[in-house]
Amino acid sequence: MNKLLAIEWMKVKRYRTFWIMTGMFALLLPMWNYGIASGVLQLFGKTGIDVISKAYAFSNVWNNLGFWTSIFVVFISILTIIITTNEYVFRTNRQNVIDGYSREQYYHAKWLMVLAFTIFTTVYVFILGLIFGATNDSFSNFPGKIENLFYVFVLSLNYYSFGLLLGILFKRSGIAIGIFFLYNMIIESLLKSLLNWKLNTVGNYLPLQASDELLPFPVLELVKSLAQMEKAPPAYGYIIASFAWIIIYYIIGRMRLLKSDW
Amino acid sequence: MLGIVLDVLKANAGSYQWLGGLPAADARRKIGSLLETPNFYHYMSAWHNLEIAAAIKGHGMGDRQAVLQKVGLWERKDSKFSSYSLGMKQRLAIASALLGNPDVLVFDEPTNGLDPAGIAEIRDLIIQLNREGKTIIMASHLLDEVEKVCTHVAILKKGQLLLNGKVDEVLISEDQVEISAGNLQHLETIIRQMPGVISIKHVNGALQLNCGNITTVEINEYCISKGITLSHLILKKKSLETKFMELTNK
Repeated sequence: MNKLLAIEWMKVKRYRTFWIMTGMFALLLPMWNYGIASGVLQLFGKTGIDVISKAYAFSNVWNNLGFWTSIFVVFISILTIIITTNEYVFRTNRQNVIDGYSREQYYHAKWLMVLAFTIFTTVYVFILGLIFGATNDSFSNFPGKIENLFYVFVLSLNYYSFGLLLGILFKRSGIAIGIFFLYNMIIESLLKSLLNWKLNTVGNYLPLQASDELLPFPVLELVKSLAQMEKAPPAYGYIIASFAWIIIYYIIGRMRLLKSDW
Repeated sequence: MLGIVLDVLKANAGSYQWLGGLPAADARRKIGSLLETPNFYHYMSAWHNLEIAAAIKGHGMGDRQAVLQKVGLWERKDSKFSSYSLGMKQRLAIASALLGNPDVLVFDEPTNGLDPAGIAEIRDLIIQLNREGKTIIMASHLLDEVEKVCTHVAILKKGQLLLNGKVDEVLISEDQVEISAGNLQHLETIIRQMPGVISIKHVNGALQLNCGNITTVEINEYCISKGITLSHLILKKKSLETKFMELTNK
């Protein structure tokens, strides 16, 4: 297992796009949040500042950071797609197998990479949370709603493995990235609305949406809880749904890789 | 076919075994292969690409310098793969196949897309590797190439084995001899009795003989001993292509 991961690392560590995409994620996420916390970035007009900047104290720092992470994970999802499709473009998927990988090892190496990206994301958000929390609050309130960090883990795994599956299915980065955005931004929203309109909250359980539901827009949540509007369904439903989708991606990708010509 | 035994293509039927039935992936680590195109990470140098190949094969990084020197790429080892010419890419693929000093090498069209000098270079390399005691399995549609580098040959058509054996037996360029004399009919009855003559055809007022290992001198002597003077005697080499067409069109 270590060997597979070490070889994946050899592939990416000299790849400039890898450093650019992870760098964008690693820089933009804290900058964006710092902008909001410091009041420089006024997303909701001047009145919004008070509510939001308080959200970077412990307790709420995790769901806040978590929500914005759910937007910025797109960078690493795209990176996952590019790394996967590169193998097809360079035909190195064949070469890896010719050199002695079994098809399963090749596939699992990619999953380990996705897992490594997920752990990196989670640890990074944890560190950011500590820093933001410590600067806006005292450590006595630590950890607060730290379960959101677990949601970040689930969401990243869902997004990255979805990217991996698209890469395997479509083999060309342009198409795979296009479909990723098309699905994430348009198709899923449409399906969600349609399903929710007819079938209550079924639409919330769509592949990426299930994880998005774990990390909702914090201000909206605040308003909802104040107004005691609809009671949110329990989180574990979305956790189970997310893992179910991740397992489905794994199975589809596996069937595709083990049975087709390369 | 080579794609199937290297597990990049799935077979419709049949099975294969490597090195006495080792698990396929383990066996592939002990085989050096070059399949169709050189496949490497474009953004990395030869040196680092070989690092990945060596890591997958699991034989250690030690012989990267040796294989690069063998194919003449040592001076360019730090250049990116994307900056290589096709010939260099092909040579890097051979270098990669040589990692871990495998006993069996699989080359699919190893001279594809190379210039004449490159082709000669690769052929010399293959012959040299064979002298070092390596078994080389090579696929090629260039019969001339097969004749120059191979010792054994198998001809497949649509998955069926047409024939196999030593190159000098299978692809032997059967000689054809054309002869003619004043009385062609008499000549034909006489020559038909000569041992070694396989078949006789009438071609442009002469007889075309397919013969085994008899020389034109022997034919001439035979005819003279039977009282026939030949007016025409030509040795015609049959091209390998003609031979191949005959085999595959059966």
